[in-house]
Amino acid sequence: MKFNTIVYLELYKIFRKPRTYIAFGAIAAIVGLIQLGFYADGKSYMQFGLQSFTDSFDINGNIMNGYLMAYIILQLMLVHVPLLIALVAGDMISGEAAQGTLRVLLTKPISRAKLIAGKFSATAIYTIALLIWMAIWALGISMIVFGVDDMLILKSDLVTQIVKTDILWRYAAAFGFAALAMTTVAAMSFFLSLFAENSIGPIMATMSIIIVFTILNTLDLPIFDTVKPFLFTSHMLGWKGFFDVQINENNEQIVGSIENLPAVMISGGILLLHIIGFLIASIVVFRKKDILS
Amino acid sequence: MILEVEHLKKRFGNFVAVDDLSFSVQQGEVYGFLGQNGAGKSTTIRMLLSLISPTSGSIQLFGKSITEHREEILNQMGAVVEKPDLYKYLTGYENLSLFAKMSGKPISKETINNTLALVGLEKRCHDPVRVYSQGMKQRLGIAVALVHDPAFIILDEPTNGLDPQGIADIRNLILYLSKERKKTVLVSSHLLSEIEQVADSMLIINRGKKIVEGRVNELLNPNHVRLEITVDDDQKAKQLIENTSWSKGLKHAPDGKLIVETEAQAVGQLNKLLVENNINVTSLRSMNSLEAYFLSLTTGNEV
Repeated sequence: MKFNTIVYLELYKIFRKPRTYIAFGAIAAIVGLIQLGFYADGKSYMQFGLQSFTDSFDINGNIMNGYLMAYIILQLMLVHVPLLIALVAGDMISGEAAQGTLRVLLTKPISRAKLIAGKFSATAIYTIALLIWMAIWALGISMIVFGVDDMLILKSDLVTQIVKTDILWRYAAAFGFAALAMTTVAAMSFFLSLFAENSIGPIMATMSIIIVFTILNTLDLPIFDTVKPFLFTSHMLGWKGFFDVQINENNEQIVGSIENLPAVMISGGILLLHIIGFLIASIVVFRKKDILS
Repeated sequence: MILEVEHLKKRFGNFVAVDDLSFSVQQGEVYGFLGQNGAGKSTTIRMLLSLISPTSGSIQLFGKSITEHREEILNQMGAVVEKPDLYKYLTGYENLSLFAKMSGKPISKETINNTLALVGLEKRCHDPVRVYSQGMKQRLGIAVALVHDPAFIILDEPTNGLDPQGIADIRNLILYLSKERKKTVLVSSHLLSEIEQVADSMLIINRGKKIVEGRVNELLNPNHVRLEITVDDDQKAKQLIENTSWSKGLKHAPDGKLIVETEAQAVGQLNKLLVENNINVTSLRSMNSLEAYFLSLTTGNEV
């Protein structure tokens, strides 16, 4: 059986399941609410955020624009999207085991490795589709509603300005990176779903691992310093690197630049290694697994 | 020979589910696989389909090892294992179409429609499976097993949960597949009466071990019966029978019933003997000796 047929059939099953659309609905609802909130009170919010800079700088133009909205939404949302990813990825094997279809599938002449690879590919495509959906809402709709202009990113001690002609490619790269980060979550959830016979366990386990790793990341204790670089959660926010720009000797932004590209590449590489690791582990475990469901 | 199983064993921790099981299935026959619930039938079937790996022993299907030629062998097999679980959010037609594609063979819409008609689901095939009755799910499960035209079909307890009409339909379908379509069918059940009506050969297992294997017409020999006799005076009847040639096959059950093994044609003579000696026979039940034996396995009572 052809690999692309397996992927097609798995996608068909994913997009016929009602629970798949919970994630799409949740993203549209949450992004819509954030946009509504900023549409109503965005100006006062920005004035409050910029009050420490307005004494020294004269800030004009459409600050509360679609590009900034997308940045705010990405910051707020990407912490919660793993749950929406796990909702489907954690169900890929355990859901089939729970409803008994896994044994029906495996009475068909498909290699187990190919089936796992096909199911994982479908999960990754779902993840990417979810990120594209998020991009449409967070960036596309925001650009229409709030308009476009140069983007000011507020950090604790500085404001970065990125000219509007140099932003869209950064968002394409940022959403690409976010897709990689979310695929890592999907891969872990998929792997965990091999050991369960209902999807609650893998979803809860995925979220628990992310919470524990995130706590380890935020704890400033030397004992955890050696493991932090290897935790995938340390690299999930690497997309922000695309909005750190290099500055020339005149303190002007260098168009098309990224301040620390190697760090972004390393983060991407570590996430990719996690995905490959989880996929290989899934294939190894599944090939030897007794199907008792 | 389609299937040859040798010294098959499956252990789950300390529990031995299947123990040194050997049997074979000839091409074109309906093979009955009989055992009470928990006897190891489904575990054996799962090993035949490579769903679980044996602890030891070998399985040859179509002359090849299932562990080494899994996909090639499964291409020629169709199976329903335990419950016919399918995707509840899809319709019957969509389920069948999806599994047909998974068989890796080009299967036309006409074949899918014909398979649905074969199991009697053509009128309800566009309803979602979640609204199907148990019988409809069972028939759809069988359609999934048949749609790619396999040479060897395994049906694990196909009549479970069905009403009498549903049971008769499945029985007729098995006979049709065997006689008209020349398929080899392995059908498991915990009911001897079901196997008896469809199978050419059969195997009985208990606690994972083979009890008996052979041709059904030889194992269920109608000329040799076991009689279960209830009388008003069992002591007097016992003494009477002990003085006859039936004494060799006589047992006195704890509940006061008498068990006599004899030739079928002698049943009337035995009844006459008791009645002529003023013993009131309140019931006289004739069972084939294998049926009686299987009943003892399923009820746990010695007969």
